Amino acid sequence: MNIIACVKQVPDTEAQIKVKADGSGIEEGQIKWVMNPYDEYGVEEALRLKEKNGGDVTIVSLGPARAMETIRTALAMGADKAVHICDPAFDNADAFVVGNALAAVIKTLPHDIILCGQRAIDDDAGQVGAMLAEALNLPQLTLVTKLDFAGSSVKVIRPIEGAQLLIETSLPCVVTAQKGLNEPRYASLPGIMKAKKKPVDVKNAAALGIATEAKAKVAKTIPPPARAAGKIICGEDPVQKAAELGRLLREEAKAI
Amino acid sequence: MAKGVMIVAEQRDGALRKISLELAATARKLADQSGDEVSAILLGSGIEGLAAQLGKYGVDKVFVGDSPAMEPYITEAHAAIVAKVVKDNDPAILLMGASVQGKDLSSRVAAKLATGLATDCTDVKIADGKLLAIRPMYAGKCFGEIVTNSNPAMASLRPNVFPAVENAKAGAVVKVDAAVDAASIKSKVLEVQKDTSGKVDLTEANVIVSGGRGMKGPEGFSILEELAGVLKGTVGASRAAVDAGWKLQKDQVGQTGKVVSPNLYIACGISGAIQHLAGMSSSKCIVAINKDAEAPIFTRADYGVVDDLFKVVPELTAVCKKMLA
Amino acid sequence: MEHTTTFSIGNEGREVFWNAQHFEPILFLLTAVALAIFAYGVYRRWQMWKAMGKSEIRWDNIGQRIKLLLQDGLLQVKTWRDPYPGIMHGLIFFGFFVLLFGAIFDAGEFHITEPLFNWSFLRGNFYLGFSFLMEVFGLCVLIGILLALFRRYVLKPERLGYKGKPDNTADDAIALLLIAGIIITGFVIESLRIYVTNPSWEVWSFAGWTLSHAFTGMDYNTAKILHKISWWTHTFIALGFIAYIPYSRLLHIITTSANHFLSNLKPAGSLEPIRDFETAESFGVGKLEDFTWKQIFDADACTRCGRCQDGCPAYLSGKPLSPKKMVQDIKTFWLEKAPAAIKAKVAAAAAAGDAAAAPEKALVGEVIDLHELWACTNCMYCMEHCSASIEHVPKIVNMRQYKVLTEADFAPELQLTYRNMENNSNPWGIGSHLRGDWAKELGVKTLAEDPNVEYLFYVGCSGSFDDRGKKISIAFAKILQAAGVSFGILGNEEGCCGDSAMRGGNEYLFQALAQANIAVMNGYGVKKIITACPHGYNALKKDYPNFDGKYEVYHHTEIIANLLAQGKITLKNPVSGVFTYHDSCFLGRYNEIYQQPRQILKAIPGMKLVEMDRNLNKSFCCGAGGARMWMEEDIGDRINNMRTDQAIAVKADTVAVACPFCLTMLSDGIKDKQMSEKMVALDIAEIVLKSMGMEEVKAPVDVCAT
Repeated sequence: MNIIACVKQVPDTEAQIKVKADGSGIEEGQIKWVMNPYDEYGVEEALRLKEKNGGDVTIVSLGPARAMETIRTALAMGADKAVHICDPAFDNADAFVVGNALAAVIKTLPHDIILCGQRAIDDDAGQVGAMLAEALNLPQLTLVTKLDFAGSSVKVIRPIEGAQLLIETSLPCVVTAQKGLNEPRYASLPGIMKAKKKPVDVKNAAALGIATEAKAKVAKTIPPPARAAGKIICGEDPVQKAAELGRLLREEAKAI
Repeated sequence: MAKGVMIVAEQRDGALRKISLELAATARKLADQSGDEVSAILLGSGIEGLAAQLGKYGVDKVFVGDSPAMEPYITEAHAAIVAKVVKDNDPAILLMGASVQGKDLSSRVAAKLATGLATDCTDVKIADGKLLAIRPMYAGKCFGEIVTNSNPAMASLRPNVFPAVENAKAGAVVKVDAAVDAASIKSKVLEVQKDTSGKVDLTEANVIVSGGRGMKGPEGFSILEELAGVLKGTVGASRAAVDAGWKLQKDQVGQTGKVVSPNLYIACGISGAIQHLAGMSSSKCIVAINKDAEAPIFTRADYGVVDDLFKVVPELTAVCKKMLA
Repeated sequence: MEHTTTFSIGNEGREVFWNAQHFEPILFLLTAVALAIFAYGVYRRWQMWKAMGKSEIRWDNIGQRIKLLLQDGLLQVKTWRDPYPGIMHGLIFFGFFVLLFGAIFDAGEFHITEPLFNWSFLRGNFYLGFSFLMEVFGLCVLIGILLALFRRYVLKPERLGYKGKPDNTADDAIALLLIAGIIITGFVIESLRIYVTNPSWEVWSFAGWTLSHAFTGMDYNTAKILHKISWWTHTFIALGFIAYIPYSRLLHIITTSANHFLSNLKPAGSLEPIRDFETAESFGVGKLEDFTWKQIFDADACTRCGRCQDGCPAYLSGKPLSPKKMVQDIKTFWLEKAPAAIKAKVAAAAAAGDAAAAPEKALVGEVIDLHELWACTNCMYCMEHCSASIEHVPKIVNMRQYKVLTEADFAPELQLTYRNMENNSNPWGIGSHLRGDWAKELGVKTLAEDPNVEYLFYVGCSGSFDDRGKKISIAFAKILQAAGVSFGILGNEEGCCGDSAMRGGNEYLFQALAQANIAVMNGYGVKKIITACPHGYNALKKDYPNFDGKYEVYHHTEIIANLLAQGKITLKNPVSGVFTYHDSCFLGRYNEIYQQPRQILKAIPGMKLVEMDRNLNKSFCCGAGGARMWMEEDIGDRINNMRTDQAIAVKADTVAVACPFCLTMLSDGIKDKQMSEKMVALDIAEIVLKSMGMEEVKAPVDVCAT
């Protein structure tokens, strides 16, 4: 089984995000970079598929030089080899460009199943899986929480609002991983050491022969409105307080 | 030249979803700035009657693809039809919902149309004659203003954010051929498992109502169940409540339990030990109900109620029930 | 009456080999056989000790080692600490030791000094005193044996078993009965000799003398036959005893003594770092052979006395772990495997070919159950109290290293903790940029702002991120400020100390964290460090030097005690109530800081300090050490609740602690026990600040300030 897992390097969930003064992006100085957690579910699922059905796992990642760290993490978890798409031309790439770039690489590799995270926790766009599937003309299964491999097809569980769907799709296909799919493993130390020696093929934009111009551009990055300090709900008695809380949750927080 | 605002309406089991109305009203607002038309794509089986409802919320024209092939939703089938309708009608702006289905469909359609898409927008406006989509990034730690140079400019709108304002228009039905080549559809929905319990796993829940030591016993959790039931949420627990045997380990939120990030987290009788905070602090809105005003949970809460939870929670359940009725 | 002519009043003595004159050659022959069996047993054991395990040097610093051998071997210092078994063992050990010397004196006179130099020294008053002493110590041994039998078979203390089931073996009884047999037959022989020869001075051999009256009326020939029979019985038992030593628990005479000599001379509780991450295939101990020879030898030195089990928080709270059982399981496994290992060694030497290893039990997971492995809090009670100087904790950490580093198979909640430490350098995964925030309103400077300070206050994760822990940091910083101490913090440049990573088996992560801290500290030329957390204290003090991080490290209780002694702070406000002090393992047993916290508390006016039953070096762990802080506790009772009960038992209304982990555990325990209204846990720094009159009184939250 030829399994591809796409990974992206993103700032740690807890990282402090500071918007640059000119709004051209975020300050990257102090950020701790990690593998996108949803991609980690994808890598884990890829490894489980390999362990169960044989084959190999190839990691494909697009990102600057530092993304190599994340690629090595995936290799340490047990992936066999990797392709790193690295070119400053991709610095402002959107999901369309990334999807096409990943597809350009994957086209050259044997692939039965391609796993991605359902979204990256940096831009939170959640588009790459579908963009990639379209570029490869493959079916897509997004937000998957359970995956069963059955020879030439996969059956997946895909939760939607208030229900879950059991979907079957023929291979090859693109699956995007949602939390709940699995618990990613902790890389063993021999794994980490071996990962340093696994092959990583670095490719630039020219090698892929694709356009790098983004369709959707982040014209400006703006800081969020200052988080209002927590409010203590006023009221004479529990009844009043509950009513006021309900109103605020509905109207102000839009949480209900 | 591309012109007008188009939306992709979403229906489930023959009823329009609320997001569809939000999309219609938002599209209307944008289109009115340039005096353009709002059109909608509505796909499904036996759903033609829904077009009028869209008209009520400001849609001039509804492209209805009514075919058994459109039910249930399959990405490939829907994307193919939507892309075709869009290409044929060339709108300047295409809006969809950032629901599970909308997110899935919008990205595929954007890929087919080779255009840009801004996902999960919390605001959209027209600037310099173009769509300016504003969306949270980095889990809301900053926002991006997205501009798309290709046509149509696509955006998916976060549900529950945009008002669904009535503004009656024609809602004229234009039938479109929604037949698809069955051979090209590789996915098949084998089963729709309706969630009858209304309970979602903690990690996937949009609303979590959690109880801690302040619940005083397993019986106390019944009022949390009721509130969660009304909010379509799931009940969680702090380590103290799990250790006391009031809830199962699988319900535990925190460092050694599950790490959750729902839209709404209601902590009842939880003091907010650091182990617990580590498991829920990324929730979008945090409510704390505790009679101890000194409880650390209040430093993390967006809304705090200092009072007896056994009195506040049932009242809140009643209030929410009324609001959601 | 049969009188010997040689001895008389004034020239008291006795005839060696009386009534056994012709037995000598046979005795010599039998002795040679017994010694041969003994020697073979020891040789065989020696081969087994050598057969497995990695190398380790435990013969440096011979002087210190001999001192330990004399102290803990000869003088039995560790054994005495526990009165009943201490006295019991002491009676047998010292009694036997003196009797052995007696036998050597006898034999030395008869076989060496008399034939060669015609010198008899067992004569006259010396003989009488000698006889008297032999009687006394003989009786001592008998009393010791009776105490032992009574304890093992009647009292049946918990620690001589496992989970209520005694772990007695036939060997335990045989060993005791052999010794009893030697002594009893010895007395019988003596009394028969006295009965027949009847010298008046033998009243000094008071036991034999008294016993001899039992034979009154027996004719001398019968008595002499009886004497011969007893003589042979005594001889057989004594020689049998010698031959039996290497094949029984009696071997501890050798192994336990050797183990004292082979003690770890490094600071208590420090762990040997893994040096090779790059080329090794396996880390930690996954197979028996991965232990060092000394770690395996430890198991052979274990006498199953159960002192370790007596205070083990895991065992007492109902977890499957018993340090004794673990060591014994390792021993049993070693006994199974060692013969094959010896053969393999011989075969390897002969053919240099690999013997195909048969599939076998896994050390970690089968011999040592994973629930046992992960139950340990690293509290070091077992090592502190082991009368055989066995080192349990490093074995556990080494086996955890195997599970974590080599197999990456361990509790998911611990995986999360490690990821958090990797990404944000704290176990909770709170953004590392928030680390210095607690100090913002205090005017505490970071070393980046002012590196010219005397002390670095290494705050640690609890003190930086945990709301409760931050209160300790604030209290301590205010004390330092009030005392005019020059200090700074690292702020966001500080990282997790790594103690939990190291003790949870993630040595790789620990070293990464340690090296990051050391790089920053060395960059500022830090010399003196204060910590408020004993875990950081211990790691910085004992483990960081392995990575070129050499500092003078102080715990905040040491600093506060000093400031008090120097009069730099004054405790003016009375703090009333009944206080009890909970010794943190990493402060107490690991670093012997027992007195400073108590001195501080005693200096506070108005306070009544009571001690819990388990205190000082017998203190009961709070349950958080050894990375247990980050793991679920789902078997048995909660250790923190047990400790809280112990505090409740002495009617304390405040539990004073000197460790943020202990504070969390005991605060949780107090809440769990529904004692929040009657009892509170506070750090010593907080109590001191209160007594200094500097504690801020917080205005109650204005509930309507929206």
